[in-house]
Amino acid sequence: MSNVLKQEAVYAVTGIVTILMLVEYFFFADTQIWAETIRTWAVIIYNISLGLGAARLLISHSARVSKKGRDWQFSGLLLGLFAIMLLTGFAGYIMTGVQTNNGIYNWMFNYIYTPLGATLYPITGFYIFSAAYRAFRARNIDAALMLIAGCFVMLKNAPVGEAIWIGFATIGNWFQFTGQVPGMRTFAIVGALGLIAYGFRALLGKERGFYAGGGE
Amino acid sequence: MASGHYWVKSVDSTREAASKMSALSKLADIDRRVFYWILFIALMVPFLNPIGFPITIAPNTQDLYDGITGDQVDEGEVWIINFGYGVSAWSECHPAVTVCTKALFREGAKIIFIGPHYDVELTYNKLQDTCREDFATKEYGVDYVFLGYFTGGESVVAQLASDIASVFPQDHFGTPIGDIPMMDGVEDVHDIDGVLSSDTGDYGGHFMTQWQGPYGTKLAEVGIAMNGSTDLPRWQAGNFFGVSVGSRGGAELELLIGELGEATTAMDSISVSHLLLVLAIIIGNLGTITEKLGGKE
Amino acid sequence: MAYPTATLDVIGLWVGWFLMLMIYSYPLYKENVAYRAAEHMFIGVTLAITIITNFSNVMRMCITPLTQGNILMIVPLVLGLLMFTMLIPEYRWLSRYPVALLVGAGFGLGIRGTIKPNLQDAIIDTITAPTGGAMIDWFNYLYVAVGLICSIMYFMLTFEHSGPLKAPTRIGRLFIMVGLGAYFGNTVLFRFTMLTGRAQYFLQVLKLIPM
Repeated sequence: MSNVLKQEAVYAVTGIVTILMLVEYFFFADTQIWAETIRTWAVIIYNISLGLGAARLLISHSARVSKKGRDWQFSGLLLGLFAIMLLTGFAGYIMTGVQTNNGIYNWMFNYIYTPLGATLYPITGFYIFSAAYRAFRARNIDAALMLIAGCFVMLKNAPVGEAIWIGFATIGNWFQFTGQVPGMRTFAIVGALGLIAYGFRALLGKERGFYAGGGE
Repeated sequence: MASGHYWVKSVDSTREAASKMSALSKLADIDRRVFYWILFIALMVPFLNPIGFPITIAPNTQDLYDGITGDQVDEGEVWIINFGYGVSAWSECHPAVTVCTKALFREGAKIIFIGPHYDVELTYNKLQDTCREDFATKEYGVDYVFLGYFTGGESVVAQLASDIASVFPQDHFGTPIGDIPMMDGVEDVHDIDGVLSSDTGDYGGHFMTQWQGPYGTKLAEVGIAMNGSTDLPRWQAGNFFGVSVGSRGGAELELLIGELGEATTAMDSISVSHLLLVLAIIIGNLGTITEKLGGKE
Repeated sequence: MAYPTATLDVIGLWVGWFLMLMIYSYPLYKENVAYRAAEHMFIGVTLAITIITNFSNVMRMCITPLTQGNILMIVPLVLGLLMFTMLIPEYRWLSRYPVALLVGAGFGLGIRGTIKPNLQDAIIDTITAPTGGAMIDWFNYLYVAVGLICSIMYFMLTFEHSGPLKAPTRIGRLFIMVGLGAYFGNTVLFRFTMLTGRAQYFLQVLKLIPM
């Protein structure tokens, strides 16, 4: 019985929900209330589940501080800022219904979260530059084609390419609008076929990797 | 003697190749931080000394602009603009979204702003700043509404198509959706005339599979350049009526609307950085090319 | 946006500027205490924002309708909370139910949504010949058609790429490399534009260029 609850019933839920979504689309002209209900539930569960990652991080950093582990001072800084942000945000939300109405939360959002977020993601631009010099080698025809296509597209995207030679833009446009189409469209088609195949496997209960504990 | 002459020639070419290799290997030994500093400084110089290279309009950008102006948009149409980008991608996506907002407002369309990023309110505030004159002529709740943050991947986009109020029972500021005049009669996908999705992720793709595919909703992608590679074939297939590719697309849109802005300003910096990168690739491959040519001799 | 005049906003601008330099001290100098501190600060504030934003979303979509009489909303609330049993090893199996619903909805919506745009429209566009086009249009049409067939054959991994499959799969791989090269070119624009934004911010805070 417990095995049924832990495995078969779970796969059945997946299969039933998948089938309901497909039945709504292929057999009904309008959206159905039961399908809308399931989708709304999925969205709510998705929202709640985003807290799981936060919970895991908080647990690991709290453990680091309590055991004075590696870089525990930084974990303390993390938890301190988290606490301030959480309390002020909830204060703003409870009092006005919008968390950014709290001055401290709003200030930290604008001047700590925003510049840090805006700075961390572009850091890969530096690594692309050093990789271009050190790692991108046209050792065979495959790599050479990739680099040639990349260079022409780059010179097409940057206005300087056209200013140096009109051919950069012409050839770059060809790569952008024709050259890359077979490859990119292949990914879309193969991805779609894979999604359909994978979806039917999940529907039949053959795919179990999503569930905590795998196929146990 | 012919063979002695050949021996001398081969020694000379070997010495020449060796000196080239040592120069190249010296270049290869340069600390990567030197490259990072060169790049960072090179990005700043064009802002201090603008160059102003001309920009030509790509057909995908022209189609996008044509699709949101003139006969393509009637007064009173309701459009959705999805802020699928965060602060880090403002320089990439925001100029194009600014132009699209201005264009739609000037055609008399009403706009619903939504976004799946935590900083969507910041992006909305920035849009109000970059489109200040256009927003000044419009009334909140009548001509535009900010419904705010949403998340849930493909499920939430599909649910939006079925029932907008189930995802947004109120707007970002807490006003129930039933109390917002422009949302009267706007309940699902059939009441929306077009969607512009500006993405760093794949919400544009979700709108394509859950809105454009089944219902034929007009859809365009106004996102990052990386998405341009996947979205241009979709534009060619007719799923998107137009595509703006990153900041280059933003600069082209600014040229089309006749109001140059942040994207155009950034193009000089983009030009310098791209040129540096292409030069880095060429110099980095000089050794490989030399080896191959030396081997053929 | 003009350069701010309010004291707190000016302080905030400079705090953001220093935080940016703390982050960039890693590539421009080396891994150091300042970088690690800034990194942890970002994680801390992001965690709080994640929790608050999604809490307000759940309140809006679930709790408020529940308090207004929609009793069915208890189901997603309970299922969502069951997700947290993933943190408790002996009750971890309970988290499979909300995952099952998410996976089922995701696959169902994905399968039904992908057929028209990613298969039907893509294939129709590929096989539609140019109408009265120039030589270059016909060349492009054949390039895309042949390239697509060969590239898809490359992904037929259940067959060994030998014999009659060797040549087309090899050609398909070359088409894919061209596509990836163009993708790389566009990625560079994306990454460098973001970096340009930071360079611009660096100069704007120093008032070397207008904000």
